[in-house]
Order: sequence, then C-alpha cells, then structure tokens
Amino acid sequence: MLKQGQLSITLVCVILGIMLAVQFRTTQDIRSTLPYQRAEELTQRLMQVEKERTALTEQLQTLRQASGDATMEAIRMGAGLVPLKGAGVIITVDDTKPAAPPGKNPNLFLIKDEDILKIFNELRAAGAEAIAINNQRIIASSEVRTAGPYLSVNNMNLAAPFEIKVIGNPATLETALKMRGGVIETLQFWGIQIAVKQTSAVEIPAFKGTFRFRYAQPVQDGGK
Amino acid sequence: MILPVLGLLTGLILGTLLPVSMPLEYAKYLSVALLASLDSVFGGLRAGAEGKFDNLVFITGFFTNALLAAGLVYIGERIGIDLYYVALLAFGLRLFQNLAILRRHFLKR
Repeated sequence: MLKQGQLSITLVCVILGIMLAVQFRTTQDIRSTLPYQRAEELTQRLMQVEKERTALTEQLQTLRQASGDATMEAIRMGAGLVPLKGAGVIITVDDTKPAAPPGKNPNLFLIKDEDILKIFNELRAAGAEAIAINNQRIIASSEVRTAGPYLSVNNMNLAAPFEIKVIGNPATLETALKMRGGVIETLQFWGIQIAVKQTSAVEIPAFKGTFRFRYAQPVQDGGK
Repeated sequence: MILPVLGLLTGLILGTLLPVSMPLEYAKYLSVALLASLDSVFGGLRAGAEGKFDNLVFITGFFTNALLAAGLVYIGERIGIDLYYVALLAFGLRLFQNLAILRRHFLKR
C-alpha cells in the first residue's frame, strides 16, 4: 500500500527524529534555567536563604557577646560595638533647597566633610555619648570624607539629607549647636538647613565594621 | 510501514547523540518548524495511502512548510502580531485531517 515513496518518507523521518530530539533537549534546558522555575520554588529558596542569613547573624551576635562580664561590656560600649538608646537629639542636615544662587560656585553650597566634622566636634564638646550619621555609628577611627557628591563614612557612601542621631543631654546638645557664632549659624549662611529635634528616645546602631591593627601593637608596660 | 518508523528512531538516536544545542531564543521557531514537518510527513503518508504520492512534491513540501512556518513566526514577532498561534492552529488542523483520512484508509482495507 505504501510502496511508493518509502525511501523519501524514511529520509524525512530521520530528519524529523533529529529535530524532535534537539527540541526535547532544548526544552529541557529551558526548564532547568532559573527564570523558568516556578515562582513558588524560588520564593522557597529565598526564604530558606534568608533564614540561614538571620541564623548566621544571630550566631555572630552571640559570639560577639560571648565574653559578657561587666568590664568587657563597658569596653565594648566605649568602642562603639553596642547599639545604644537614650535621650538625645536628632539633627537633620540638608543642602538641597534652596538651590545655589546663580552666578556663584554651587560647590560652595554643598555639605562638606568639614561641616559635618564641625558638628561632631561641637556635639562631643557638649557631652555626646554616641553619634551616628545616616545609621553609621561614628567611632574613634571613623572617617568623614567628601567623595564627589557623597560623604564617605566607615567606607560607606552617604548622601544628603543627613540624619545625625546623638545620645546625650538634649538641652545641652541643642544649645551647643545653636550658640551665637556657632556651627548652625555658620552653616546656615551657606544655605545649609539644619534642624535640631530633642527627643527622649533615640536609638543608635552599633559599629558594624571590623578592627585591624597592622602597625599598632599594645604597649606591655605593666602599668596603665 | 516499519521503514519510516525505523527512520524516526534513527533520527531520534542521532539527535540525542549529536552535541547540537539550539540557542534558547530560537527554540520557538524550531518547535513550529517541527510541527510543520510532522504535518508534511503525515501528508506524505496520506498521499501514499491514496496512491497519489509524488516524490518532488513531498520533499519540497517538507522543506518549504518548515521554512514558511519559522518565517511566519519571525515576521509575526517583527510586526507585533503573534503569528505563532496561527501557524500552530493551521498545521495542527491539517495534521488531524490527514490522520483521520489515514485512519479511514487503514480501516477500509
């Protein structure tokens, strides 16, 4: 019945078989690439990975506080490794409005590292116990440096507006900043808006970096 | 009848062994071309059953169908209409028609 054309049909069937096999393989590959896995599987994986991450950070925290006696706690507080809360002020420093008047160099009206450092200095002189800018804890070795349009703090780039949280005596801190001829007056001349808000509960995060002393070594002299 | 089936099996084995892999973006074209080739094979079988088989028609039909199907999908993508489904529908329809005619032929013997 199918006498005629057996050969060509067979030939075509071979080609068809090849195409089928290639297509099967391609679809398999498509199914195994990440975008095609079902959304549920992906969210499962995400949740699992997030759980692992929180477990690991908790482990890190417990390891950090492993040697938990009183002097150690005081030392860690002093080093800025403990998140703190208490009464203080929240300072907002913004340079975005109004825009620099035309004809003048706009760079003069941006917040620079020296401005922030002056604020920190004043705060410290007024008895600030902990300072954080945009949730970066400022410790003894923190740098505040202008990097283009950003400020580099603890190796992180921060952008205006800056929110500075300080723990200390709220009234003292505010008065120190608002002195005649003080920091706020000087900066407002350049159009930098500073708002100070006293608050009874401000939270300051811990310093999250690491310490590395390559050149410094402790002095072993037996005394203090 | 067994010769075409053997051919199909050979093709399948060859395709699995060959390290040919299609870039994933072209998988759509290959699937439509596959359907078109399937349809032309069944058309050829039907022509053989009816005694009207023409070698040249069959071979040229096979290749032009496959190319036309892929080309249609490509043009559809370019002009914004999803002609993928049009090709699928047309070839699927013909496939079932040919299958029905083949079935009737086999049963009438």
